[in-house]
Amino acid sequence: MRNTASRVRLAAAVTAVASIAVLAGCSSSSGNSGSSSAASSCAPAKGKVTLQYWNTVPGMDKVVALWNKQNPNIQVQTKNISNDQYGTISNALKAGSAPDLAQVGYDELPNLRTQSAFVDASKCSAATAAQSKFVPWTWSQTSFGNTGVFAFPQDTGPMALYVRSDIFAKYHLPVPKTWDEYASDAQKLHSADKNLTMTFFDPNNAEWFNGLLWQNSATMYAYSNNKWQVSVDSAKSRQVADYWQKLIDEKVVRTDLANGSTQMYAAYQKNQIASYVGAAWGYSMFRDNLPSQSGKWSIVPMPTWGTSAASGDWGGSTVAFMKGSKHLYESVKFNAWLNTDPQALALENKLGGLYPAATAGLKMQSLSQGVPYYNNEKIFDVFAESSKNIDTSFAWGPTQKTVNLSLQDAMAKAAAGKGTLSGALSTAQATALKSMKDLAIPAEAAGK
Amino acid sequence: MTETETPARRAVAAPEVPRRRRRASGGGPGAGTIAAFLTPFFLPFILFYLVPVGYALWQSFRVVRRTGGQYGTSYTTFGGFHQYGQVLSNTEFWSSIGRIGLFGIVQVPVMLFVALVMALLLDTPLLKIKAFFRISAFMPYAVPGVIAAIMWSYLYSPQLSPVVDLFGHLGLHPNFLGPGAVLWSTANVSTWLWTGYNMLIMYSALQAIPQELYEAAKLDGASNWAIAWRIKVPIIAPSIVLTTVFSIIGTLQLYAEPAVLRQISSNISSTFTPNMLAYAVASGNNYQQAAAISVVIALITFVLSFGFMRLTSKRAGL
Repeated sequence: MRNTASRVRLAAAVTAVASIAVLAGCSSSSGNSGSSSAASSCAPAKGKVTLQYWNTVPGMDKVVALWNKQNPNIQVQTKNISNDQYGTISNALKAGSAPDLAQVGYDELPNLRTQSAFVDASKCSAATAAQSKFVPWTWSQTSFGNTGVFAFPQDTGPMALYVRSDIFAKYHLPVPKTWDEYASDAQKLHSADKNLTMTFFDPNNAEWFNGLLWQNSATMYAYSNNKWQVSVDSAKSRQVADYWQKLIDEKVVRTDLANGSTQMYAAYQKNQIASYVGAAWGYSMFRDNLPSQSGKWSIVPMPTWGTSAASGDWGGSTVAFMKGSKHLYESVKFNAWLNTDPQALALENKLGGLYPAATAGLKMQSLSQGVPYYNNEKIFDVFAESSKNIDTSFAWGPTQKTVNLSLQDAMAKAAAGKGTLSGALSTAQATALKSMKDLAIPAEAAGK
Repeated sequence: MTETETPARRAVAAPEVPRRRRRASGGGPGAGTIAAFLTPFFLPFILFYLVPVGYALWQSFRVVRRTGGQYGTSYTTFGGFHQYGQVLSNTEFWSSIGRIGLFGIVQVPVMLFVALVMALLLDTPLLKIKAFFRISAFMPYAVPGVIAAIMWSYLYSPQLSPVVDLFGHLGLHPNFLGPGAVLWSTANVSTWLWTGYNMLIMYSALQAIPQELYEAAKLDGASNWAIAWRIKVPIIAPSIVLTTVFSIIGTLQLYAEPAVLRQISSNISSTFTPNMLAYAVASGNNYQQAAAISVVIALITFVLSFGFMRLTSKRAGL
């Protein structure tokens, strides 16, 4: 009991040191994130290296195990970050503990690039050489219009129209080829049966709506002039918005369902909806959730604006080269294998349901057969054709998530009768400019 | 059940205090022992409470700057009250506060009134099988908020809900997820979750009232009704104030229930409550502004809770 005073001081000191150590741990590692000298060249490492690869793909560990078996000197460790993909990546960047490679959605690439998340792999000849192996629009987005190589494309979501052929046959309607036909069919179906609608418009799904904009070449952003050119609100995007606004006003599409929700499947199950504007990865959703409708579904090209065969994309991801990687050469090698090797692509398709971004992958065995659920139709031919018809000039913005939320909130108001969808575009345009200003990202409204 | 025992435990603990003091004066536990006992509390308190709060405060005074154009490197610098200006001029922020204010003004009194009535009913000798009622009223509190919201989302959705079907048979077609109704559907989930919890706090206060008071009241000819409203309620007023303060704080921090219902209703926007707005702003990488929103929410919570406590303590002499 004699040394109480010194013990108090000791306890206090321990407490203080512990907290300082934690604080220092944060600040010192964040200092490291700036240095990427090790990755600034593309020299192969001497001896064995271990790469970190973060992703959200089911079964990816098995694909990586295959690589690890074949490449004893380049071992890859995977981590599944599907719990909070971008939160995990952002926090790791701040802490200076980002992996060598990470899965990043196309629409999040600009956001992460403005956080200095990537390293340009174009100094590796193997990276630039990979360009010819991918569907053109995917390369355009991972290279930011050919200004570097920041990621390799992995999978895509070319869009198409899912139709209940039996319902269309019942009402003697041919499958619609244009959006005009689609709208008039929507009216016919709804007037024949007031419980039946052509489809649903989910106001809380900006990603889907962006795919529709993409199809109409309603480019949302451009990289030129060393400033982001914002054109979220444009004549092209308004054309799409006004079209859906009309269908909503006429109540021939419903707005009360969230994409992928139990409620949505229940509505399809009750034969209340005749079609679905979806992506390639959606084929298994219907197959697995609506088994009783096997043989009733067909997949046809997306309705078009006029005669152009243009299509859109909804979703898909890339595998990005993260800043701070000490082994760029090996990362490029693994990443190229992961996303172009036929064996890897087949495994990813089988285990993770990935629809490949590599052109050769579109012809793989499992994608050239008829699918029993869809009347043994070769549905992937439709998606492969769709993939070819996707505009290569479409680009995402650096605050895409914020813009998506703003667009969704405004579209939801429009669906509830307050405002219009084209008004939502103007709100989203303002949000895009404001959010970039908040983050000191140079931007201007593109000349309309 | 531990909650009900709290007043009793407090009563037992009181006489111990002098004994402990006596031991201390006899050269008992020194400062080292005190430090050893306090460290397990203070270390996490500092690390996980004070440090994050301090960090948020610090962040809220920063602004992002960038060198090198379109893809340049960002850094933060001192920006004074810039972020606060942005928050205070954000109409989405004020409409989320207004929405939650309306929510609180209706939901908190309704919930606490129901909780009080239930507590008083449990406290009367008229009610049999008390343990059963007490547990069943408290049960919803054991359900995590997210699970409760998912459960209720099934009861609300027209495609799946037996409740909506039942209304349909009666010729009614309520839209629990519609633009006007969804706020009250959310309030219903919160009420379901928290009424039992508040009831238990009030009930444990009622348990601490000495029986002699009731006997005296009965002798004076007071009815059960008069005993409840004239004696019990005034005596447990401090508990009612406490539960009100908890509820004000809970309302301002509302997140889980609307965030879950948002999955099935587009009528809940990404900025529906102040906390959802802060989350949306943070997910857009604007951590500085999200920090400022958090600080403003904390200040509003502080002012409202302490304001309410001051107001009631003056009136009730607490």
